[in-house]
Amino acid sequence: MAAIRATEVTKRYGSVTAVDRIDLTVEEGEIFGFLGHNGAGKSTMINMLLDFARPTTGTVEVFGSDCQTDSVAAREHMGVLPEGYSVYESLTGREHIEFAMESKGVDGEPFDVLDRVNITDAADRPAGGYSKGMAQRLVLGMALVGSPDLLVLDEPTSGLDPNGAKAMREILTAENERGTTVFFSSHVLEQVEAVCDRVGIMHHGRLAAVDTIEGLRETAGGGTKLLITVDDPDEAHLTAVEATDGVDTAWLESEDQFGVTCENDAKVDVLVALEDRGVDVLDFSTEEASLEDLFVEYTRGTA
Amino acid sequence: MSWRPIARREFATLVDGRSVKIAIALVAFIFAVGGYAAGASPRGTMVTYARRLSGITPLLITAFALLFGYRAIVGDRAAGRLTLLLTLPHSRRDVLVGKFVARGAVVVGSILAGALVGAWLVSYPFGTVDGGELLVYLSATLLFALALFALALALSTLTVSPRRATVGAFGVVVAVAFWSNLRGLFALALDSLGLTTATGGLPDWALFVYGLEPSLLYDRILASFVVGRETGPFLGPDAPWYLGGETAVVLLLAWFALPLVGGYLRFRGTDL
Repeated sequence: MAAIRATEVTKRYGSVTAVDRIDLTVEEGEIFGFLGHNGAGKSTMINMLLDFARPTTGTVEVFGSDCQTDSVAAREHMGVLPEGYSVYESLTGREHIEFAMESKGVDGEPFDVLDRVNITDAADRPAGGYSKGMAQRLVLGMALVGSPDLLVLDEPTSGLDPNGAKAMREILTAENERGTTVFFSSHVLEQVEAVCDRVGIMHHGRLAAVDTIEGLRETAGGGTKLLITVDDPDEAHLTAVEATDGVDTAWLESEDQFGVTCENDAKVDVLVALEDRGVDVLDFSTEEASLEDLFVEYTRGTA
Repeated sequence: MSWRPIARREFATLVDGRSVKIAIALVAFIFAVGGYAAGASPRGTMVTYARRLSGITPLLITAFALLFGYRAIVGDRAAGRLTLLLTLPHSRRDVLVGKFVARGAVVVGSILAGALVGAWLVSYPFGTVDGGELLVYLSATLLFALALFALALALSTLTVSPRRATVGAFGVVVAVAFWSNLRGLFALALDSLGLTTATGGLPDWALFVYGLEPSLLYDRILASFVVGRETGPFLGPDAPWYLGGETAVVLLLAWFALPLVGGYLRFRGTDL
């Protein structure tokens, strides 16, 4: 059964279409990154999972439960780190976890959860005094209570320092290894790239692309970028390089350097092609197309 | 039934607040002091108690009930606590019921405690308290309090702006406080339209409309069932049934039920 299944979902606020005819399936067990700029419709989509916002048309299901008509059942499958929340200032961290346990009807030791999100030391302090990062971990702890089938996280690393973001990623990966499906949104590409099995790119309310990161790289063309320093940077050689199998484009990068985008396994062929034409390769480096490049590539077309 | 954790936590947080404690103590104190004053007359009864308190309790209860209701939903909503709460498997109804039970318990408990001490002070040492009258007095007073509380709770579901909720709550208190001052204006307006009775008074239908205001309904219920008054345009022998005490009970029940239903439907139907 799909963890999340959105069918033709549209959400309009007055004349503004925040989410436009989205079809999306997130399979059980995967880590799905939901990528897009602020205002692209990511949060609206997540709010519809939680029944905070109701679709204008279309349906969203979580493990087969309709998120609107059967919202409580849908949320019983979910652990959620939402955006724009506030903790209960007078309750301690431990009381928050206890409350989540009571709500979800699970028994257990609050400290097991507090340990996992690393706020044991602050467990008995009122959460009103927590830093953003601590509050974020506390709410993640509440989400983890009861070992949900699906973790939904809206910008989980926002407001966290690099160490905090790394810890967050490690928790997500660990949860995923226990069999939890993870769905999280981000506008920080590295976060998504580091942990996700698949990525969906939202842009202006549309789902511009859904694929694995490798798949996106391939689709976006090239995949690998080569920078080759040569002794004879004649533009005539570029034609020959482009004629090689697996090469996408070749250009003059600087006065003694060619730039080439190609499939990963065509790298050597490019060098061989240059050698064949009597060009000496003095140096070369490769760089993978970053998700940022892909993102620009995808969102430009649908703007 | 998953409103219970919400109610429990709400109650615990509520009674933790200092201003809340002061409000509870004040209300209970006034109900108790009323008993002392009524008991000090040669022979105190529930009638003297009800009369002693009739000047202050309608407005006191209104302000008290509004205080506990008007921010119940909108406060959490604006701050983002509702966002956190509703990530957990609770329905919107659970939230409303939980808030209603916890806050309603504080409203009811404070008045009940004060009024029971008051009733005891009425009977001590020379007065008498009729059990039936006490029961009617308590029921009517708590129904009135719950009606205003329900109105406040509904108010807090209508808007996402705490400021608007505050203005609305203030408006309700002012309306209850000054409603009876408007009777003369009604009479003038109807008179200019030639709709008043031969003696220049309000016709029965206008009395009904004027008398819909909750504190007047409460007053009429007490007058009818505790004090036993049988005079005046509402309760006199010539008054139609729809101005009587029984109708007032039904109308006050409607003041309780309709805002709750309306508030729930509104809260259920809107995006967070």
